[in-house]
Formats: sequence, structure tokens, C-alpha cells
Amino acid sequence: MTTPEFPHPVDPARGVDRRAFLRLAGFGLGAAGVTACSRGPAQTALAHLTPREGEVPGVPTWIASTTWADGSGSGVLVRCLDGRPVKLEGNPEHPVNRGGLTASAQASVLGVYDDRRLVEARLAGEPADPDAVDGYVRARCAEIAATGGPVRVLTGTLTGPSTRAWIERFLGGFEDGRHVMYDALSSSALLDAQEATRGVRALPRVDLEAARVLAVFDADPLGTDVSTAGLSAQYAAGRRPDGPDARMSRHWQFEARLSLSGSRADRRVRTAPWELRPALARLAVELAARTGRMLPAEVTDAPAALRPALAEALERLADELAAHGRDTLVVCGANDRDAQLVAAWINAALDNHGRTWRLDAPSQQRLGDDAAVERLRQELVAGEVDLLVTAGCDPAYDLPGFREALAAAGTHVRLAPRTDESSDDAHVLMPEPHELECWDDGEPFVGVLCTSQPTLPPLREARTLRECLARWSGDRRTDRELLRDHWREAFDARRPAAGEPFEVWFDGVLERGFTELPPASSTHAFAEEPARAALLRIARAPSTAPADGALRLVLHPTVGLLDGRGAHNPWLQELPDPVTKTTWGNHAALAPADAARLGLTDGDVVRLSAADASTPAPLELPVLVQPGQQPGVVAVALGHGVRGTDRFTDVGPDWLEGRPTVEPGETVGADAGAWRAFVDGAWALDARDVSLVPTGGRRELACTQDHHELAVPEHLAPPRGKVRDAVRLLPFVAAAADRAAPGAAPGGHAAGGAAHGAVAGHAAVDLWSEDHPAPRRWGLAVDLAACTGCSACVVGCQAENNVPVVGRDEVRRHREMSWLRIDRYYADVGDGDVDVVHQPVMCQHCGHAPCETVCPVLATMHSSEGLNTQVYNRCVGTRYCANNCPYKTRRFNWFEYGAEDRLQNMVLNPEVTIRSRGVMEKCSLCVQRIQRGKAEARRRGEPLADGDVRTACQQSCPTQAIVFGDLADPESEVSRRAAAGRSYELLAELNVQPGVRYLADVRNREGAHG
Amino acid sequence: MLTPGPLPVRVFLVVAAVAGLALVAGTADRRPLNVHTGYAPEQPIPYSHRLHAGELSIDCLYCHFGARTSRHAGIPPTGLCMNCHAQVTSSLDALLAERGIAEAEDREPERVVSAPIQALYDALALDADGQPTGAEPRSIPWVRVHALPDFVAFDHSVHVARGVACQSCHGPVQSMERVRQETDLGMGWCVDCHRRSPRDPAALAPPGGARLDPPHHVTTDCVACHY
Repeated sequence: MTTPEFPHPVDPARGVDRRAFLRLAGFGLGAAGVTACSRGPAQTALAHLTPREGEVPGVPTWIASTTWADGSGSGVLVRCLDGRPVKLEGNPEHPVNRGGLTASAQASVLGVYDDRRLVEARLAGEPADPDAVDGYVRARCAEIAATGGPVRVLTGTLTGPSTRAWIERFLGGFEDGRHVMYDALSSSALLDAQEATRGVRALPRVDLEAARVLAVFDADPLGTDVSTAGLSAQYAAGRRPDGPDARMSRHWQFEARLSLSGSRADRRVRTAPWELRPALARLAVELAARTGRMLPAEVTDAPAALRPALAEALERLADELAAHGRDTLVVCGANDRDAQLVAAWINAALDNHGRTWRLDAPSQQRLGDDAAVERLRQELVAGEVDLLVTAGCDPAYDLPGFREALAAAGTHVRLAPRTDESSDDAHVLMPEPHELECWDDGEPFVGVLCTSQPTLPPLREARTLRECLARWSGDRRTDRELLRDHWREAFDARRPAAGEPFEVWFDGVLERGFTELPPASSTHAFAEEPARAALLRIARAPSTAPADGALRLVLHPTVGLLDGRGAHNPWLQELPDPVTKTTWGNHAALAPADAARLGLTDGDVVRLSAADASTPAPLELPVLVQPGQQPGVVAVALGHGVRGTDRFTDVGPDWLEGRPTVEPGETVGADAGAWRAFVDGAWALDARDVSLVPTGGRRELACTQDHHELAVPEHLAPPRGKVRDAVRLLPFVAAAADRAAPGAAPGGHAAGGAAHGAVAGHAAVDLWSEDHPAPRRWGLAVDLAACTGCSACVVGCQAENNVPVVGRDEVRRHREMSWLRIDRYYADVGDGDVDVVHQPVMCQHCGHAPCETVCPVLATMHSSEGLNTQVYNRCVGTRYCANNCPYKTRRFNWFEYGAEDRLQNMVLNPEVTIRSRGVMEKCSLCVQRIQRGKAEARRRGEPLADGDVRTACQQSCPTQAIVFGDLADPESEVSRRAAAGRSYELLAELNVQPGVRYLADVRNREGAHG
Repeated sequence: MLTPGPLPVRVFLVVAAVAGLALVAGTADRRPLNVHTGYAPEQPIPYSHRLHAGELSIDCLYCHFGARTSRHAGIPPTGLCMNCHAQVTSSLDALLAERGIAEAEDREPERVVSAPIQALYDALALDADGQPTGAEPRSIPWVRVHALPDFVAFDHSVHVARGVACQSCHGPVQSMERVRQETDLGMGWCVDCHRRSPRDPAALAPPGGARLDPPHHVTTDCVACHY
């Protein structure tokens, strides 16, 4: 008998046996322990070689500058950390924006770190030495000067006195030189009308605060018009529903699509584009009857037929305008000369010049001349331009027909931040610096001189237009010298503080970012004749309503991308539109009635085309059904379809089910700019009719509208419990009654200070006992009556708190990371109209927070100052907290978002942790700012005062709708607001004692029906 | 492929894992894995804190001026050294020795530049006489000793303003020839100090190092450091 040599044979097929497993496990544990016992690689620390005066690593430097990213010339304070700009904040002293800053301007800081920027000069498409380029251009200039050929400089609106002087000087060297300016979002017709009636081609400088009645026709002063931050501040200042000096302007809005301004209007009257001129004419007739002004009988006797609703509204508006006399303002935004002439007549009839608007120190924020640029296009096409210099604009994208025109230029010298549509056939291409990289000046309002300072040196070979022109004219001074010397020549004699040396004064201006020179006094008498002629033309013109079956195409800018200048900015691409809540791409917005008639729903792809063969290529866009839109109109956003936006293909996580934000080789959205029409000497945005055909395809919109909603799902809701009291809208009349008896707001309840009241009908069930008294209770008060929904706070929060961009696909999956969202509520008021309320929602920092009870690892817990804190290191990603959050303000990092673009990551705020995958995050009430405020107070040896700490959302808000402070301090501004009768808590029935209080929206409606 | 084997093995593994975790948890106070305390890397220039901060009694904040106003105390800019070392080029002993030799040899004493100072001059691209050599100046690659992880926001200025001595955290730097990390700078160590420090130093005398009640000690909120 034989016994096996090995009683327990090792069977290779069995894998690892117990012994081997233990050995491996033991080794593994030991190895893990050993690696944990070693330090990471040694870090070297490189200090500055020489100490820079006033600069301490880790202490931010604030540099006063000016931004033109939204076309406004707003004053900014640039927060620079360790030598690089990380955040833009509005300059509170600045006359243009008064401390607020639009979303697009705030996001422009990201453009500094754009890896697609042009870095080297190019000659005939090949990288070239800048000196060689200078030599080429100078030689070409000399040739043209000798032959007397025409030279043109084409720019966007350019207000900088020094640059304009250099353009003059450069063109002065040629026999036939001309500077042409245009705006992609043009106010050319308004400028023309002002020139015809007032003798000065200038944009009126309006004062919305002084206007008791504000009638807006097809304009968007709160959303996309130039200078919205400043206008919103004025608008909010004219609408104060609380206090003894309560007053509210009456805002009428006449428009076809639902704009942001329309969403805030007290009375919004749907007006189709073809009804705009007749409506204005009717208003003029009504006002003529009330003010005793004479109009031609042909205009007054046979008024054009208007829809009864529109006619009735105009009649009431005329009553109100006449009753308020000079404290009124009629704003028309259509780029339509006749409409603007009539609007000018109405304002003249109301005699409001000098009260609600002025021309003595007018705005220069838009100077473009559509007729001049069209003339230039024809010259170019005819081959009559020997030298064309373009800078600060992208005409081939902006204007129809310019691509071919640019190719026909004799020599095209172009300054551009990146290669774009217009740079294809440019003979010379020079990189243009970012506005945070260069010296510059500007004059947004006549007499308001602004300066820009570099916050870091220009990228490689980038040079401003001023410096280029100087070089080409043989001047080798530096850019700062050019600027300073021009200021010495132009303003030394005019400046107020004549006693101090020029250099001292100039440095003071740079430090402050602007200076104001006294305006030259001037009178601008009104010439009535052009307006009367316009009224006659309107009375005689046939209706321009689209034929049966056709729709009128209305092009409009969006709050983020504007005319497309924000298209390369992922923050702005992912910023939900304030009204439609869509991100990443545009759509064709249809009125619900039209959509029902055509059998279309959100996401159905349609083709927009025109019968006329001369019209541009058809547009294919997904449908968005837009309540409140005028039937017969299809609205498409401009600023999309910008070349090179396929760079965003890789935005968002790379995973099995992930879909690219944009297909390679395509663009984000579709470019509708070619559908502009040149009518009456201006580029009209609403003059083309289209037929709409469904393609049968579908393209799901990346729309955040139904994400994170507060509604209870139907199957979980108690009877009648589905509708929750999230936003409140009060008529101004009721708010007035409430002022008499505080705490008795209709539908509201008093919830001021630290007192929390249980809502009637709900038992006061508490999650926690009151056992942690806090010396402080940080909180916010959000005034919905002041909030315009402009989304400046959303971008401000994103920049401050390193909120990543997740890409289109992730947005579709409800995974956008923004800590602060703006919920938009519609209330159907019948007849296809809607009331709109915007509600910023961030973490409510509940006193008795539901999220804290469910976290198994205590990653979210309460601070001693009332903050609901999220400790990233503890978080293991169970997401219980997000499930239990009634406000849906928590965001989970499903992926390592935005870790790839190392250059772009330079914009990250070093004071805020980058959250990694698997971690929950949410609004921290800018705790880094609280800590910084406390540290600064301690250094000063003073207690922290109310207002020392301002959150990013509060800081960026143009209307000061958001106030941060200590709710435990009854004297603080936030407590004062929270104690107002309009104050309420969101979902108060839950009794989670939120630290954010909302103040009900108030509208100034006629009559009691509100 | 790992197959866990029969049931008893699996049970053992689970028990062992639990026991191991308990062991780690039980000895957490002793921080067996702490590798930070005592870290004293060699520096590119043998700069002596003992000499400068101890013997010469130069204020810490003279060089680490950032601690007054910034989160970071900072490594002093190289040029700051030249405030003294434009003149001071060597130890007094070396100077005296050179003078002695010069007297003996009956000549003018030469400028003596010690090796560390020469390294400083090299970094700033200066020759032994303090004149620019024309080379590109290069920052000295100091090896960082105290490094907190990125998820901790420690603010030097607050602690300096409250009168916390640098030595409370950094140890007796004035007696260290080469700087070494004296404490582990772990969270427990931070929190321990916070629990012993009164919120308001004027109103409440420190009761002999004992822990204070939560409302009376300085903040131990997570967001004091983690945000």
C-alpha cells in the first residue's frame, strides 16, 4: 500500500489556498502599513527672489480695472492671489455698475486661462516673428500711403480715448482712412433716431430709478441690454416696497418672447414684432390726445387695427404716462428706426428729457453704425479697400455676408484673441491680449473715464490695438507710456485737481479705476418732423404679419453668451438661461398654442427655413415650448454655433454611458446670426419669416427646469399637498396694507428674528431639542422683489467656490454642481400669459437640519455659529443627506469633475478645497469669507461688524437682493429684513428652521386683483 | 483568483479584520503611523535657526513676515537675506582669523565669504563682492518642513494676533541648528490646544491646562479649518 507523498497536494487549479491567502494578506497589510509610514515626496518651496512691496503670499491684492466683457465698461476690482487674477467683483463706487457685475462679466476671468488663445503672431497663416510682422505691415502701409488707397479700421464699439486717438493718428497717414464701428447687438437705429430728433448721435443715459412709469417695448434692460448691472440697480432702487418711503415704479413690458425684463414686469403685454410699430404709433396718438399735442390727421383719424387686449393696454398705459408726466420713460429696444423715432416722439411728448434720461453726458456703450458697416461690406466686396484692420470684433460671425467681404480685402490685418471665423483669410494675425492683461482706458459715459490695469503680463506676443498702431506708425513707447502720454495731452488741462502733479493724479485714477470730468453743458431741442414722418410711414404701411403657416423668427441674445462673446466660456455655456433654464446650446422657442397646433413638444427637432432663395441655410434646432410667448413667433438665441466650440467635446466625465457635450467637429448650438435682416439702415433681429418643419428627430434639451424641484411626487403627496408654498407674490397694494400692520401679510406669516413659528395646520414637530444655543446665527435674507433672476450670483458662487463644469450630458442627468440655483416659477394667469418669479435657492442652513440626522459618519454637522457644515474628508458618499434634504441643494461628485485642464485650473480659488469624487458638497455660506472676515477683525482688534463679511452671491448681486449676516443680532441688516412682514421661510411647514429667509415678491399691479 | 476557502477560514478572516481594526483604533492615541514628528530634512544651504533666532535673537516675524497678515508664514524672499548679508559675509571668527593672517602677512585683509553665504550670493547671481554676475538669479530650493494637507486651512495671522507663540507649534526653533518638525500637527493635537484655550483671554484665565467647556474654549467647529 502506498500513501501519497503529499497528503494535501497543492492543486494549481484551486487557486490560492488558505495558507497562501493569509501569507499574501499579511504581506499586503504589512506593505500598506510600511507605505503609510513613509512621508510623501519632499516638497521644495521656492520663495520670491526679491520681496515685492505690499505683496504677501496668501494675501489677496485688489486691482481696480474695467471690464468690457458685457459691453458695459463696468468697474471691477480684480482679486489677485499669488500673482494671478481669480475673481472679478464689481467696484461699488463705479458710476456704471454701482458694485454689481453681470454673469458674463464675472465669468470673463476664465478667459485669461483659455488654452485656445492665440499666442504668436501669424503672417499669411504661418507663425512669424512680431518684428517681421511689423515690418510687413509698415511696408504695406507705406505702399498704400503712396498710392492713396483706402484704409479702413473696423472695430466693435470702442470708447477708449487713447485707442481712438491712435486710430485717428494712424488713419491720418492715409488719404482715405475711416474708422467704422459696429455692434453685434446693435442700437444703431436708436442712435440714428436720436441724431434725427435731438441732433446728437448718442445713446441716452437713462435713470430707471426716477421713472415712476416705465414702458419697455422689445428691450431687455434687466437681462441682455448693455449695462444691465447698473440698470438693474437703478430699477431696484425705484422699487422699494417696504418702509415709510415705500414706492414702486410701474413697469410695462411689450414683447413677443418672454425676456428676463418681461418676467419681472408688473404688466406684460404680448406684442408681436409686426405689432410693435402700430402699437407705438397708437400710444403716440393716445398721448397726443391727453397732452394736447398735434399729430397729422392721417395718423390720428384712422388708427391701425390692433388686438383688443393690446389696444386696451396701450390706453391704460397712456393714462398712466399722462398722469405721471415727467417721471416716466419709454424705452424701445428694437433696432428699427421708425419705431425709435416714435418712441423719441413719445418721450418728447412726456417732456421727460433731463428727468429720466439725459443726453448731456450720454452713454457711449454702443456706438456702432449699421449703415456704415454695410457700406464697408459693399466696399470690401467691390475690392475697394486696400488695407483693413479689424480688432475687438468678429464680423464674419456677427454679420451676414462678411466672410466673403473679408476675403476680398486687399490686406486684412487682424487682432484677435483666438482664431475665429474672421481670421481665415487674414494676411496678418496678431494675438489680442485679454483685458485683464493690458493697460487700457474707456469712456462708457461721456465724462466718466475708466482705466484698466494689467493683473498679469500679456500672453507671449499679445499686443493691444493701440500698441500695434503705434508700432506701425514708428512709435516704440510701451503701452503704459502711450496711455499715460495720451492722458497728459488730452486731460491734463481738464482734470479737476489741477494742483497736484499729473503723475500723482494719474496714479490716483488708476488706483480708483475711474475718474469723472465735468460734462459740457448742452441743450438738445427736439425736432419733431422726423418722428411725424415716421408716424405717417407707419400709418400708410401695410401689416407685415407673416403669411399663413409662416412664423416670424425673433433672434435674441442670452444672458450668458450675449452675442456669442461668451461662447468659449464653459461657465457661461453651463449657466442656465434665467427664463428657459436651458444650458449648452440653443433651441427654437414656440408659444404653447403653436406647439400644440404643430404637435411638437420639448426636444422635437425642427427645421427653420425660408421660401426665399436668398436666405441663409436652414436651421435645425430642438423645440422648447415657452409659456408667455406670442403665438406666431419662433424665438432663437444668438451667440451659439461659434466655431471652435467643439473644444467642449471632452467636458464632463469619460465613462461608459457618457455622451459628449458636443459631437467632434460640431458646435455648441446653431448659429442663427445669418438670419439678421438689413432693414431701413439697421440690422433687424425680427424681420424674417420662416416655415417650420419637424424633422422627426429628437434632441433632449439640457434643461435644469425640473431638476431639484421642491414638489412632492404625486404618489407620496397627501391630498392637496402637492402644491407647496415656495414662492409668494404680493400685489404692492397689499404690501402697503401690510406696512400699516406688520406681520399680517396676506398668505404670509411673521417669522422674524430668531423666532420660528409653526405653520397653521402643521404640528410643531422638531428634529432636535434646543440644546445648542449659539452666539451667532449666520443667515441670508433674499428679497424676491429685488431679484431679477439675472444669474450674476450663480457665476459669482461658481468662481468663488470652485464649482466645476460637468458638461451637457451630466446636466441632462440632473448632476449640475452649482451650489446656488435660481428656481423659476410660472403661474398661469390665463390667455397664454404667465407670472414669473425667480427664486435663488442655496443650502438653507437649517437650524434643525434633516441632512444632519441621517449622515452615518457625521460628515455634515452643525457649527457653533449656525452653519450647516459639510466636512469633505469625512464624507463617504452615502448620499443619504441629499435624499433627506427638503430643498434639494446638495450636490454629489459622481466623478472627478474638471481635473484635466490644468491651465484653466489656475482660476481656482486657493481658499476653497477642491472636492474629489464620491463627496457631497453644497453651499457653505462662503465660510472662507467668514473666516477671513473674522481673521481680519482679529488683526484689527475689533469685533466683527455687520457687513464685514459679504458672501459671493451678495457681493455680485446688482440689486442687493441678497443680504448675509447674523440672524442672532437683532440690529443686523439681515435680521431687519427677516423681521419684515414679507419675510417667510421656504417650506416652513417642515419646521427645519432654515437660516435663509425669503421676502415675498411684490408687483405693482393696477386695481385690487393684483 | 482568490477563493476564501472553507467557512472556518472565512470566519477567522472576519474576526481577524475586526480585531485588527480594534487594535488600530485602540492605539490611535499613540499615533503609531505618525512620520511627521522629527522630520528634519537637509536644506540646500545649512541655514541655522539657532544662530539667527537664538543667538542673534532676530524676531521670527522679521523673516517670516507673512505670519502677521497672511495664512502663510512664508519662506522669506531671498533678497531679504541681503538686508544683513550684503554686509555680513562670514562669521566673526573667520573675519578675525583673516585679519590676524593679514596682519602677520602685512597686507589688507581680504573679504571673507563663507560657503553658505556664497551659496546665497550664487542664488542671487552675485559675485563675492556683491556685484551682479549677469547670470540668471535662481530661487533657493528650500525643502519644506511643515506641510499641512491641502484640505486644512490654517491661518498663521489669527494665531499670531492672539499672541500664540511660534514655539507653541514649531517647538524651540531658536535652539535648532536644522529645523525639525517638533509636533505632529495632527488634528487631535490642534483640537486639544483649542479645547484648552479660552475663547476670551481677558475674561477667562486659563485654568491650568484643563479642558474647558464647549462654550468657553476657542472654536472647534470643523469649518474653522476645513472648507
